[in-house]
Amino acid sequence: MTESAIVSASIMEWVEAGHPTPLLIDRLAEVTVRALREANLRPRDLDAIITNTTAIPFDSPSYITTSAQHFAHRLAERIGVKGAQCINVCAACASASIAFALADSLIKTGAIKTALVAGIDNSPRGFYLPGQSVLDPDPYAAAIKVIGATNPAYWAMWARRRAYEMGQSVESIKELMALVKEIHSKYGALNPYARYKRIFAAKDVLASPVVCDPLHLYMICATSSGGGAVVVTEMEKAKKITNKPVKIAASTVGGPIYGEPMPRLRVFSTMNIEKPFTEWRLPIEKAYKMAGITSEDIDIIECHDTSCFHTINWIDQIMGWEREETDKLIKNREIEHTGRLPVNLSGGTASFGEAVMSQAFMMIHELFRQLRGEAGERQAKKNLKIGIFTAYGAYGAYGCAILEKAF
Amino acid sequence: MKKSVPIIEGLFEWPSENPRLIATRCPLCGSMQFPKSSVCNNPDCDHSVPVEQCYLSTEGTLYTYTVHAYSLREPFEYHKGPYIVGAVELPEGLIVVGRIKVEDEKMLKIGMKMRLKVDKLYEDNENIYLSYFFEPVVEG
Ligand SMILES: [Zn+2]
Repeated sequence: MTESAIVSASIMEWVEAGHPTPLLIDRLAEVTVRALREANLRPRDLDAIITNTTAIPFDSPSYITTSAQHFAHRLAERIGVKGAQCINVCAACASASIAFALADSLIKTGAIKTALVAGIDNSPRGFYLPGQSVLDPDPYAAAIKVIGATNPAYWAMWARRRAYEMGQSVESIKELMALVKEIHSKYGALNPYARYKRIFAAKDVLASPVVCDPLHLYMICATSSGGGAVVVTEMEKAKKITNKPVKIAASTVGGPIYGEPMPRLRVFSTMNIEKPFTEWRLPIEKAYKMAGITSEDIDIIECHDTSCFHTINWIDQIMGWEREETDKLIKNREIEHTGRLPVNLSGGTASFGEAVMSQAFMMIHELFRQLRGEAGERQAKKNLKIGIFTAYGAYGAYGCAILEKAF
Repeated sequence: MKKSVPIIEGLFEWPSENPRLIATRCPLCGSMQFPKSSVCNNPDCDHSVPVEQCYLSTEGTLYTYTVHAYSLREPFEYHKGPYIVGAVELPEGLIVVGRIKVEDEKMLKIGMKMRLKVDKLYEDNENIYLSYFFEPVVEG
């Protein structure tokens, strides 16, 4: 199998969501051009353009396909390409991560040599409410209508269950989540692309209103508008393009698993067969196998922290150790840039707000810069070799990749 | 006189004295689906026999829960905060998410016994809309 690498990565500044921004395609085209220039490539060199679709609500009265679902084709038209295949990937908050994995797979199998993975999203604000299609009035999509179970309600239920299984009080997981926010916000303040620069103390987080107990307002990410572009090529070509290629040691895609007991976003029921969060863990295990490494080889993590509970659970699943170890790691601030396992030095979704389906670009960008030693004040102090990023989306959408310094 | 109607058809028996949740069950492997499905959901199943409609146990144990502090906006404004969302594990091995009814949320403990109850979710000028809830089983 051909080896693959990232040769350039570019993101835009994340901004407030929920406002009509008619220039989304222009912003996406600009960030794409920046990524191409960093790689010294032209649009004609691209064999594929793979974008995420978006969380932008349908605006077409006939509910026929919308422009927001076809950024790959529209971007190809904007920058001009010569025969690049155009693919739009839809997998909730894991969309961009899966677009990236798809590009990687196409290169590794030899189907293509150079891919642009790009995307932008402009999310709706507040709790996400379902719309019912007249052609598909699916009761499975009606958890909010019947139960009032918003996304934070599911996250809160997971957090409470983790505390219960560990024999902890709900207060202790609250405090841990507040500390995660405090640490993430420190790095958001140092990241020019992050939307939020305010540094929170854990006590400020605990003083914010409760949204879904045990989750307080500042433990839940806002929604944002943002995106980015990444150029992926086969390794041989990557080495000609840059003297600092970042190898894609593995990329995987996950899905909902039969028997996962933790109710995933928007379901009415699950079967209690597997260990909780098996479906979070599986794509990670597959990635370790593919890369020929174990959790002990991971130097740095970027994980999708839609809530501060997500960060905690991702560390549990990525490390596969006793959950008490995760608590210790966070409490000892070993996830900071000076620590033994830095997590979300980008500032995380906590500091960016979630550009829902494009969110992976900030994680890929951060790992790319960290592994190349280009993260400025946020640069991890330890010597970095291998990093991992993980994404979680509704309906059981998962993406994961392991990136490795190849110079 | 307003009519009492289920919020969604097919989730629970109605009208009924002791309504139960409506599911489907695979006669081959025993896997159950709620809400009911057209096919079995067990990856090991050979699908040689179609699923059958069945009814779920009305008692289980509390798996987890959260107090949802905020009200939802239209058209779901009838979910008025604070309200409780929880997951209840049934003897069938199925974990069902639903609204929880309880006088005082401090009473709730993971692992406690819960019972199904069909009750009013909200009403408008025409109908009373019913949904399923779980409430603690008070012993004695
Ligand atoms: Zn079956």
